[in-house]
Amino acid sequence: MVDFRDELQACVPALRRYARALTRNIDHADDLVQDCLERAMSRRLLFRPRGPLRPWLFTILTNLHRNTLRNRRRHGEMVDIDTLPDLAVPAPQPGHLALAELARAIETLPLEQKEALLLVTLEGLPYADAAAILGIPTGTLMSRLGRARSTLRALTGTPAEPHLRTVK
Amino acid sequence: MSAPDRDLLMAYVDGQLDAGARAALEADPVAMAEIAALQRQSDAIRTLYAPAGAEPVPVRLDPHRLAAHQARRTRAALGRAAMFVAVLGLGIAAGWWLRPASHAPELYDRLIANAVSAHTVYVAENRHAVEVAGDDSAHLSSWLSNRLATTLAMPDLSADGFTFLGGRLLPAPEIAGGRAAQLMYEDGSGARLTLYITPSSGIDGPSYEAVDFGLDTALYWADDTFTCTLVGPQPVDRLEALLTTIAAQLSPGSPGSPYRAL
Repeated sequence: MVDFRDELQACVPALRRYARALTRNIDHADDLVQDCLERAMSRRLLFRPRGPLRPWLFTILTNLHRNTLRNRRRHGEMVDIDTLPDLAVPAPQPGHLALAELARAIETLPLEQKEALLLVTLEGLPYADAAAILGIPTGTLMSRLGRARSTLRALTGTPAEPHLRTVK
Repeated sequence: MSAPDRDLLMAYVDGQLDAGARAALEADPVAMAEIAALQRQSDAIRTLYAPAGAEPVPVRLDPHRLAAHQARRTRAALGRAAMFVAVLGLGIAAGWWLRPASHAPELYDRLIANAVSAHTVYVAENRHAVEVAGDDSAHLSSWLSNRLATTLAMPDLSADGFTFLGGRLLPAPEIAGGRAAQLMYEDGSGARLTLYITPSSGIDGPSYEAVDFGLDTALYWADDTFTCTLVGPQPVDRLEALLTTIAAQLSPGSPGSPYRAL
């Protein structure tokens, strides 16, 4: 039988990735992951669903992040844009998208669209799983996803019809 | 492009389509161009954030370590809770132990205070220190016995160096009979002792109490018949010895020395 903590450990890299994309701050992200792990450990006897661990952890982390934002808004905490770590801008990547520009564009998305986008594109979760994590119907997930993608495309100036690619 | 088409293209990019649906799209170059753009966007997003998932994980995010921490915290919290309960319990116990006596002084306390007041007033008198002189001991004994509705012997302290001066009747409105007796003794140096006596029926309280009144000490003692309060300027152990002698003589029927030094 696999130890619960080993199972958790296997999920940590993905959680960090998702948290980093949500917060764009390494410390905030790791704080979120730590909170998430602690919560999972303290609640697993009561709340752990029978299914796989990963979607449950993503659900916890998503909710923790929303709570953090809500509290921050309530307490009026200012986040100095200069304290956000610079995103390294590597060499141009596929599609010649300027990554920094894309990162900034993602920041402008409403949180609910950002969550949907990251769960599906970054984490590669099936629609059904992502919708369950966010507690929404699959149709809603897809519409958030569609709006997020259109916005990003508009903001990053990628034309609607890039160079055609032939697929055999 | 209509909305359902957009969803279909997205589903292709996100790997949500079965083989048949994929093949249908792949036959359409316009759709594939759109799909390629979406794919580039997804790739870019992964390029941006995937490295975070490949970084070495800090030790603070090790679930084994967190579990150990949590267990320690739980133990510490339990310890604190236990400590809290213990301290609270001690506080309650101490509070109960040290609780102030009820605001109205106990009856025996008032008798002690009466004894001390009477002592202070009458030892200062020379000619009228007593109402009936000690040389008429038999008369004094029967008179006070009648008034106190009990049998009261006049204790003889001559073996201890005290002369019996006599006694008087005092009002004691606190107690059932309403009367108390005071006997007075004097030693060779002129230092005086008084003994304040009441019947003990209806008086609750300890059987022994010593109270320091500064110049004088009051020793209170009670048995089934009497309460006695011996008041004088003598050292407390001297008074205790005298009270033992007195108690033995006051209640000849009662066994031995009922008074034990604490």
